[in-house]
Amino acid sequence: MKIFWSFTRQAFQFVAAYRFNFFAEIFLILLRMYGVYWVWKILYTQRPGAFGVDLQQMITYGVLGMALEIFMWSRPQMYMARQVKSGAIDTDLMKPIDFHVHMLARSLGETLVALGVLAIPALAVAYFLLGVELPPDIWTGTLFGISLGLGYLVLFHLNFLLGSLAVVTLDIRHISWAYYSVVRFFGGQMIPLWLFPPFLAWLAAALPFQSTYYIPMSIYIGNLSGAEAIQAMGFQLVWLVVLVLLSRLLWSWAHRRLVVQGG
Amino acid sequence: MIQVEHLKKDYQRVKRREGFLGGLRTLFSAEYETTRAVDDISFHINEGELVGYIGPNGAGKSTSIKMLCGILVPTSGNIKVNSLIPHKNRMENARQIGAVFGQKTQLWWDVPVIESLRLFRDIYKVPEAQFKRNLNLFNELLDLHEFQSTPVRQLSLGQRMRADMAAALLHNPRLLFLDEPMIGVDVVAKERLRTFIQQINRDQKVTILLTTHDMGDIEKVCSRIMIIDHGHIVYDGSLDQMRAKYGTQRTLVVEFEEAIPDFDAPHATRVKSEGRKKWFAFNRFETTPSTLITHISAQFPILDLAVEEPEIESIVRTIYQGKPETVETRAG
Repeated sequence: MKIFWSFTRQAFQFVAAYRFNFFAEIFLILLRMYGVYWVWKILYTQRPGAFGVDLQQMITYGVLGMALEIFMWSRPQMYMARQVKSGAIDTDLMKPIDFHVHMLARSLGETLVALGVLAIPALAVAYFLLGVELPPDIWTGTLFGISLGLGYLVLFHLNFLLGSLAVVTLDIRHISWAYYSVVRFFGGQMIPLWLFPPFLAWLAAALPFQSTYYIPMSIYIGNLSGAEAIQAMGFQLVWLVVLVLLSRLLWSWAHRRLVVQGG
Repeated sequence: MIQVEHLKKDYQRVKRREGFLGGLRTLFSAEYETTRAVDDISFHINEGELVGYIGPNGAGKSTSIKMLCGILVPTSGNIKVNSLIPHKNRMENARQIGAVFGQKTQLWWDVPVIESLRLFRDIYKVPEAQFKRNLNLFNELLDLHEFQSTPVRQLSLGQRMRADMAAALLHNPRLLFLDEPMIGVDVVAKERLRTFIQQINRDQKVTILLTTHDMGDIEKVCSRIMIIDHGHIVYDGSLDQMRAKYGTQRTLVVEFEEAIPDFDAPHATRVKSEGRKKWFAFNRFETTPSTLITHISAQFPILDLAVEEPEIESIVRTIYQGKPETVETRAG
């Protein structure tokens, strides 16, 4: 477990090395939060009862989605593609650490640091300035925490699967752009899934992406609670197990056909 | 330490067709071509040896090293590193080996060197006492403390190699692979790395496999040399044996007391004249320097003499080219 802490420390060093980057990021997050806040405010003035939850809940949902943009911060698939392309993957494979665990430790470290230095400070600002609410009670807060962790793990494994493909395709930049749009949209990062038209809502409900944003954030604002919340977390867990198995499978296949480039 | 038997490795590559239509066809029906990078090599390396592993580009050096690391799976044949099969016990094997790849760094690019070393400490589960002891050693031998707080991207190449060397040795591996560690490093830094390599081989009994294109490295550092070409091992033995076997040509340089006309000596050919100096090439199995000298000194007064051995580089070049009989000696 020490290894996870180690990568977290390393990721923190990285942030410290690029301070400007950090200030730019936090500014961007705050700007987006403010944007979302205004959009919902205006929409609610126009059509107060049309969105299923009250304005405060919706703003909290939207602002939280912007803070959790940091889930996109760690991109193990990009790292994998870069290492495979440059041939530096062999320095990773030389380490006495399972590659899948290595990537998870690296990504988790980056995400924890981003959570600490970007998301939480931005949310604190939003709490004071934009009237974002805290979870209604401790129990909801705990469920949200667990669900958020599951959501992160689901996203990590989707990223890892994409990264494993890079062993074959070498370049995944373009797929990656499309992929992030899909994650954001079907994850419900900005627009909650209950506002989707029936077909899209049905599709989003079947896909794993809602685990990342929609489920934890809906639990947070209290729109998913009790049995529904537990059921949604079960959905996350099932997807996680499937994705872990797929990741192990795909990576062992990719590893076998890995031709280390260059040198 | 290392046992390799009848090792083979084939690569499959998609055969690309030329042009746009060709590219399209490749997308739908790929044809594969197989290249054999390593073709039936066998060798043994004992504990504590320092072996130079050389060969032209694309000879199969890196491929075989990657198989020894367990990164690539052999097509056929057997490998054992310290009684482990690398690709089956990749992680366990990784603990007993260290590697430096000259062309890439395993350090984190953006963070200080010491942070990368701390990360490796945790990955390899190096006990704190051992970590401290090794840092002291690296400070002493590599002057690590001079740049340990500098981010890797700001290091000079020589410093980066030293840092990479420290990273590779942090967990006290029994076996060290050095894949062109001196590439692009200046003479002073190179000398320093060579000394370091010898030191850890001697003092810590680390078995080392050194890949290089610089024959100076081989001459100064290695006790044994393996030459690989086109996937085959074409030579395996000591440097002296290699000289004896392939470097049959010698050159006798004679400086006379005064300028004299050109002449040939028996079993030797005059290859060059310059002022009062003359160069005679001979095969050491046909005649000896003393016979030659006796013959020449009987005719002309001699001021100075030297016998030149063939340069290791030219021996290796001839081995690469596959005609070991005609090794030329250094002229001039």
